[in-house]
Amino acid sequence: MRRLIRQREIVADDWRYPGEAGTGLQVLRLVELRDAVAAGTAPASGAGVWLEPADEVEQLAPLLPRVALVVLNFPKFGEGRGFSQAQLLRQRHGFTGELRATGKIQRDYLFFLARCGCDAFDLDPAENLEAALAYFGTFTVAYQPSSDRDVKLRSRPAA
Amino acid sequence: MYRYDDIDRTLVNERVAQFRDQTRRFLAGELSEDEFRPLRLRNGLYIQKYAPMLRVSIPYGLLSSQQLRMLAHIARQYDRDYGHFTTRQNIQYNWPKLEQVPDILADLASVEMHAIQTSGNCIRNVTSDHFAGVSPDEIADPRAYCEIIRQWATLHPEFSWLPRKFKIAVSGAPLDRAAVEIHDIGLRLLRNERGELGFAVLAGGGLGRQPIIGKQIRDWLPELELLGYLEAILRVYNRYGRRDNIHKARIKVLVKALGAVEFARQVEVEYAANREFAPVLKRAEVERVAGFFVPPDYEELPEQGVPANADAAFAAWHRHNTRAHKAPGYRAVFVSLKKHGEAPGDMSGAQMDAVADLADRHSFGQVRVTHDQNLVLADVPQRDLAALHRALEALGLATPNIGTLTDMICCPGLDFCSLANATSIPIAKQIHEKFSDFDYLYDLGEIQIKMSGCMNACGHHHVGHIGILGVDKHGEEWYQITLGGSARENAALGEVIGPSVPRSDVADTLARILEVYVNRRGDDESFLQTVRRIGVGPFKERVYAAVDTAA
Repeated sequence: MRRLIRQREIVADDWRYPGEAGTGLQVLRLVELRDAVAAGTAPASGAGVWLEPADEVEQLAPLLPRVALVVLNFPKFGEGRGFSQAQLLRQRHGFTGELRATGKIQRDYLFFLARCGCDAFDLDPAENLEAALAYFGTFTVAYQPSSDRDVKLRSRPAA
Repeated sequence: MYRYDDIDRTLVNERVAQFRDQTRRFLAGELSEDEFRPLRLRNGLYIQKYAPMLRVSIPYGLLSSQQLRMLAHIARQYDRDYGHFTTRQNIQYNWPKLEQVPDILADLASVEMHAIQTSGNCIRNVTSDHFAGVSPDEIADPRAYCEIIRQWATLHPEFSWLPRKFKIAVSGAPLDRAAVEIHDIGLRLLRNERGELGFAVLAGGGLGRQPIIGKQIRDWLPELELLGYLEAILRVYNRYGRRDNIHKARIKVLVKALGAVEFARQVEVEYAANREFAPVLKRAEVERVAGFFVPPDYEELPEQGVPANADAAFAAWHRHNTRAHKAPGYRAVFVSLKKHGEAPGDMSGAQMDAVADLADRHSFGQVRVTHDQNLVLADVPQRDLAALHRALEALGLATPNIGTLTDMICCPGLDFCSLANATSIPIAKQIHEKFSDFDYLYDLGEIQIKMSGCMNACGHHHVGHIGILGVDKHGEEWYQITLGGSARENAALGEVIGPSVPRSDVADTLARILEVYVNRRGDDESFLQTVRRIGVGPFKERVYAAVDTAA
């Protein structure tokens, strides 16, 4: 079973990604969730949805009350659209469920992803999760306000 | 100049520790080359032809004498006793050892410097006017905004993995010495009728394979909205910039594809939608940072020109290598890194140490790096000029050629760079040899040559009055010539005059071009003005007629 970091702890995953067989809750692609909503077969809450980098969070936004998990896929190193997806989901669209990054991400990306509001991390299979946990604290200071509250900021925005 | 506080210091120290760990993991085989590459690039570390190359950030080109001495120390300790100043006002070291880079970064951190984001697909060093704060024509000093942008861009959580590199320049004067029109974002400081400061915002400029002049997308942005609006631009770019093709990934391609009007509309929509979360600058923060850039303690001094009995060398240097200053009795002085026969922009450790001493003695302990690869001592009392000239002359740093043909921009080229198609430094030397007569150079007046060893255009060849681009033809080095480019306000891209010329003929080709200029120029007409008036036709005719005759 897949292991991942959730809320700074290593846990076993209880979800199945699109195309994966087995037990566990099924994560739907955005188009599948939209189709299910249109057909009236979507759950009212607790759904999991998978976003590719090109998926528009604006299309997901109206469905967020039904969603408990958003998985942001980073299919290759250096892919950066997920950082904007995360910020938009947390800030503009007020998503409070699990926001998970998966794909080509390593411990060195954790600080940035966490600052953008991700709270679950399914790292590259080659990564050592126990070692990775220390990397949330790579930096203890930051210049920009963001979606997190863990760092000391130069100045907080007017509240 | 800006001084670090506890937050700045903690951040660079943590960055050093981070890179030390990443380097250790790479050397231990825990990180593959593919995984390590984007991490090391974010610290300015390239793998070049012969050795790694480390690019150190010099924010908006401003250095203290203490920092310049550290750059000299790094050159001596970790490199071959020299460094190369770049068009982003940074410095590059060509021969450091990978395993020593964490130590270099620690040395830099000890003098409030770093190599953060000097390469990679992220926001690069913010550049500005090398006469910021001293130029008589200035509207407002751009450096506080540059520092605010530097901090905002550093380790930005959302914009550290952009489709491609991203360059921002800020100008505070009507005369654009910061080349804002050829940047991903160019900012021009303005003052409105009510005396408030704001910016004109340009986007989508850039050189490289597809050179484009930036378009103005906002005529007036109030100064306190700066970061929120930059976030809107970066977010539109991060989401919609192309990631499928490295050559189409700069913001200029997105702006061109959408059209500047539509791009601006999308930015405004994003900006409006993000009001609740966009950072808003506080007046107190702007004032805190601006407080680091107040004018130094100028003495009340009389204006004094060049004495009638001054020697010709001093008079020529004074005329060409010094500029007007807004404080009476002061001049801004260029330290020429364009000595004939030397690689443009290179400086030895001993020269750096000596210039640091001169800065302490004559210019309030500060030095600026220009984007055309010279240094500036910005605040020199006129009574010190003769002594400063003698000292610079002894160092080989007083070549009186600023603004002339031999004050050229030149990338490292094939001698160092693994991207290059052709050499540039030997071509610079060829030009130095051919045009060694200073009376002829002075008669030609202001001419900017900009030379790149490949189409990535680090030498800004598209915007040279004369641009020289190295190309590879079946393993031989050839050079394509463009005329009429400019990086100043009303920037323009040069026009190619025809087929490229062989390596041995570059300087001779320039001689023919200059001959046309001398024959056709009007009274007081500069080279650029003449090219703009008569077009490239007459130049082309002269250059290729000669080739036909020879054949």
